[in-house]
Amino acid sequence: MKNPFQDFRSVQYRKREIPLDRIVREKEETLELLVQGYLQLVEEEVRDLVWLVEESKVEKAYNAAIKRIDGSQYDPDDIDEFCALLDSSDKLPYLISGPAGIYISALVNCAREDHIVLSPKDYERSFHFLGYKLPEGKTLVLQGDVGDFAGSGLFGGRLIVEGSAGNWCGAGMMKGEIRVANNTGQNTGEWMRGGEIHVDGTIQSVGTKFYGNTGYRVLFGGKIYQKGKLLVPRALVKE
Amino acid sequence: MPQETNGALRETAHDIHRYIGDNLYFSRPDLEVKGEKFNSALLLTLLTGLRQGKALIIGEPGLGKTTSAEYVCSLLYRVPLGTIWGSEVSGHPEQTEEKIIGRPDLGRLNQGEEVVVWSHFVLLPTKIVDEINRLPETKQSMILDGVDRGNWEYLNDSVINREYCLFATANYQDGGTNTIIAPLIDRFDIMVESKHPGPNLAFHIGMTGANGSGLRNEELERGLHRVLNQRGSYEDRMEQAEELCNQFGEALTRGPGVRTLSRSDRETIRSQMDEIPFDVDANAFLRLVLSELSFCYHYGQRRFHEGCADGCHFTSYLCHTVRNCISNRFPKSARALSQALAWFLGEEQVGLEHLRAILPFTLAHRIQWKEETMARREKESRQDPLPIYMAKEAVREMHRRYIEQAPQLKSALAAACKITDGEALEPTQGDHPIYWEIRRDLGEEVLDR
Amino acid sequence: MTGRCPEDEKGTGVRKDWDALLREVWAKVREGHLFPELPQPEWSDGQERVALEIKDKKIALSRPFVERMSENMAEAEVMEGLLDHAVSHHLSCPWDFPTHMRLYGEAKKTLKEPRLAQLATDYFMDVVADTYVMRQRETPLPKLYEQLQRDRVDEAIHALYQRIWGVDLGIEGHETISRRLSRIPYLDRQRWTDSIRRFSKVLHSLLVEEEEEQDGADEDNPMGNHDLQQYSAQEVESGLQDLAREAASPAEFKEIVEDFEEEILEATEPNEEGMGLGPGRSLDADVLYYMKLAENYALPVCTMPTRKSGSLYPHHHAPWEVGMPYREIDPWTSFGKIMPGITQIWKRREGDIFGEEEDVPDCLIMIDSSGSMPNPKRHLSYAVLGAACAAEAYLRRDARVAVYNFSDAHVGGRRNLNYTDHRFDIYSSLCHYFGGGTRLQIEDIEALQRDDVPDIFLITDMQITNLAALIELFKERANRVTAVHIGDNDSVRTFRRSMAPRKNVSIFAVEDKQSIPAIVLGKVKEYLYS
Repeated sequence: MKNPFQDFRSVQYRKREIPLDRIVREKEETLELLVQGYLQLVEEEVRDLVWLVEESKVEKAYNAAIKRIDGSQYDPDDIDEFCALLDSSDKLPYLISGPAGIYISALVNCAREDHIVLSPKDYERSFHFLGYKLPEGKTLVLQGDVGDFAGSGLFGGRLIVEGSAGNWCGAGMMKGEIRVANNTGQNTGEWMRGGEIHVDGTIQSVGTKFYGNTGYRVLFGGKIYQKGKLLVPRALVKE
Repeated sequence: MPQETNGALRETAHDIHRYIGDNLYFSRPDLEVKGEKFNSALLLTLLTGLRQGKALIIGEPGLGKTTSAEYVCSLLYRVPLGTIWGSEVSGHPEQTEEKIIGRPDLGRLNQGEEVVVWSHFVLLPTKIVDEINRLPETKQSMILDGVDRGNWEYLNDSVINREYCLFATANYQDGGTNTIIAPLIDRFDIMVESKHPGPNLAFHIGMTGANGSGLRNEELERGLHRVLNQRGSYEDRMEQAEELCNQFGEALTRGPGVRTLSRSDRETIRSQMDEIPFDVDANAFLRLVLSELSFCYHYGQRRFHEGCADGCHFTSYLCHTVRNCISNRFPKSARALSQALAWFLGEEQVGLEHLRAILPFTLAHRIQWKEETMARREKESRQDPLPIYMAKEAVREMHRRYIEQAPQLKSALAAACKITDGEALEPTQGDHPIYWEIRRDLGEEVLDR
Repeated sequence: MTGRCPEDEKGTGVRKDWDALLREVWAKVREGHLFPELPQPEWSDGQERVALEIKDKKIALSRPFVERMSENMAEAEVMEGLLDHAVSHHLSCPWDFPTHMRLYGEAKKTLKEPRLAQLATDYFMDVVADTYVMRQRETPLPKLYEQLQRDRVDEAIHALYQRIWGVDLGIEGHETISRRLSRIPYLDRQRWTDSIRRFSKVLHSLLVEEEEEQDGADEDNPMGNHDLQQYSAQEVESGLQDLAREAASPAEFKEIVEDFEEEILEATEPNEEGMGLGPGRSLDADVLYYMKLAENYALPVCTMPTRKSGSLYPHHHAPWEVGMPYREIDPWTSFGKIMPGITQIWKRREGDIFGEEEDVPDCLIMIDSSGSMPNPKRHLSYAVLGAACAAEAYLRRDARVAVYNFSDAHVGGRRNLNYTDHRFDIYSSLCHYFGGGTRLQIEDIEALQRDDVPDIFLITDMQITNLAALIELFKERANRVTAVHIGDNDSVRTFRRSMAPRKNVSIFAVEDKQSIPAIVLGKVKEYLYS
């Protein structure tokens, strides 16, 4: 049979490559890895169709995320782009704010860089759990408003929110520092065990979780400042 | 063929072109190729004549459609104008096969012999049908085979023209005209408009008139008339006619001072044209054009009676705007005319620019646009009649798409060549219909299931 | 301008023929870009600072600029670089007017400020165009950029070029910005909307600083401004059509178009037909939106009607049989013999020829703009769009259109427009929104009746207070009436019952408003094309 393409037999076409091709290609490959990791995480997490905020579940999701990320090479720009990808969810089959935020936090925590800046102000959606378990030596700057549980479980790192935070900001944080430029929501510092939260705006309410059966309102260490003034710890208040 | 002969023949063709443009057919340039400006009707008619092609010339009445064809035929084929006039077929409803093609020799018929008296239209290599769209459709069907292959049959006899070109003229549709049937219109290589030359040239025409008298020679016309009316074999008569035509050629060189082409010259030119290769870009571009005009993801190929499926992905390509599938005569016409143009310009290869200049004229009469497509464009300002304008816009669009992905397309074609030869490569995946068609040619099932 | 200078500056005695040099360089550039459809560029005595100008696809190179640059580079190289840049804008980005507007729209969504959005769009288009050239062929563009004067944004862009092209343009710094910008897939056309958003975000702070420093002064881009003059009037017009079709709402269309109002007017040279504007008028983006959107709903080309010619023509031969008349015998094909089996007769048929175009009646459009109908300036109103489609169809057939836009007609909530072919006035009347009650003035409608019985299109939700009067009017009239109503209610049922015996009245109920244009067009097609 006649080869209808024989006129092109001698065409030795080699595309001119410029560094942009390599940069974009590498970036796409990295993002693809990150996306796959996220999708696998979500598939596991939403097997029961409902994702509830419980400490054990959050911890489990975080560990699963760490496992998926382990060994991946990425940089803060990749994290930022991944967030943008999550935000325009027409590219991903589903977005669940909780696991998404946990996954992003895992990415931040495992990144090589110590200083990472993300821009929630550019996103339409709110991500929760940003800054979850941020370790010592790491600084995470969030430009814009963030969702709930920002900086929860903070583990020595420095979280700076250049906007407002949602409810349960700094919940269960162990050590480290959270700075919020505007306001925080309810239950700020709930279950807090150490570290400092500085809020330059208003705090809707401070966490009042009972721990144990002592009947006392207790915050287990840590300090909350509002507009530079120490707000808690206050004296133990009997219920 | 030595370069000197190449150049000399080309110079002769240019001479003829110049002579017609300066003395006979006054017109404004409306086509630019490689920095040179031409009048499309004159240039393409000339190239069609050289290439043994068929041209449909449209235009308003009195704008030189028929006369331009007559001048080109006369000078290219060395046929006196009077002989050409005598051989023209005019389109009107009373035309019969006997008037167009031939009739029985009545004297011999009464003696019981079937001998055909062929019309001059059939015998001469230059064929002009004036106002072809005034021929009723049944009469148009009658001349299909002759128009297509130069094969004319009547009773039990036939004539196969050794060389011929056909020019048909058509006015725009008005009361009293028919459409040209689809099989006939597809056989034309090009459609071109003979435009108004503008008021200044029109004034000049009115004052001085085109001087076609230089293309007449009564003595030779009488001689040709005698030869054509003889009862000998077609071949004998053509030999004799050629001698007379060559005499006419000499008279043209002596008189008006224009060189002309003999039959062997014309054959040489045609073989020179045939040898001009397509460069890689022109080759790939033509394939891209063919793909856009034949592809249908849903139905396998374009068909006139099958509209586009809902939600078709390929809405940005021409396959979405046309109704019919492009015929295989189109690439033949495109090849022939673009090689002719390249030869005329003295180029060694057919390139994108040649193809881009020629394609609209080879497509204008072959594409049937969807109504909504035509409705969107009909009110746009333009310099050409709507079919030619839309063909030009279509070629422009496809060319832009080609420019964008030329390297990838050529790469895909090269890869396909290697795959066909047995190499284990992956065919290129792309959005454009050409990539889908390449994969289909390589045996993949790519269509909508 | 002849392009010749009297003496070559270097005194070699060789005259520099600028025109010839430009022709030579252009031929090379054109071939390298696979013969784009652009006319021969020209020289201009432009500014020394601005290298080129593109107007309606015509490229003009600034001779002072080229002369200045040729102190460090060969003239041919300067020209080649400039032409590569200009051609690439035509071939890759923005490619056409709708793409330009789309990019601007995305940039504006990110940056909010029109001026910043324009700057970001211009820079983005430059990056894409230049990167396209770098990928396609060897070009002296990097050498050219090395010589150019740069402000801070230019430096950042050139730092980007250093990364993505792998060349050294002598820039230091701008590491973070260039790194972030280098990750954008500039050459992937499908992702330009995302890309320009990211591009704008990254460049935002730098653009703001630059704007503040310049204090609002418009600094020309050395590589030529990206104004709308580079597009032909026809491109702008058809681009507006595409934009109207793709815009999510009239407000989105308006936002983009109003930012370019001056340039659109300049580029299109207001004409009554295309833009429906009169001299001295400004662009009405709401009206323009519906005008351009309606142009997307094109009706078929009016083909000449065919009719029988009234004459019989010989059509084909048939065998003669004994008993058949002799007068149809064809002696030629019968060879002069009258004999069954040999003799043939002509069968004649009437031919089909083209007839005459019939007159098209004028059209009266009655459109309800009461409070229950959507405000066409805020949301896409399919009612207005349907009315616009009908108007467009009649205007194309050289008929005229009258508009009766009604709400509380008895207290002035009405707008009458007498028969006209002035597009702007028609669309203006259609787009007007009263938002009050729903009551017609029958006298107004009577005043718009004519002897030649115009077609009537009524688009309403039928909750008309004086519906009975309207019914009586239609009963008395012979106009072809198409009533399109949205929803179902008692008034609708009353109207249907009353109009049932009337053959000239067609009523369509619409559940999905999006089908209004199709219904209207269907009826127009029936009226005008059958």
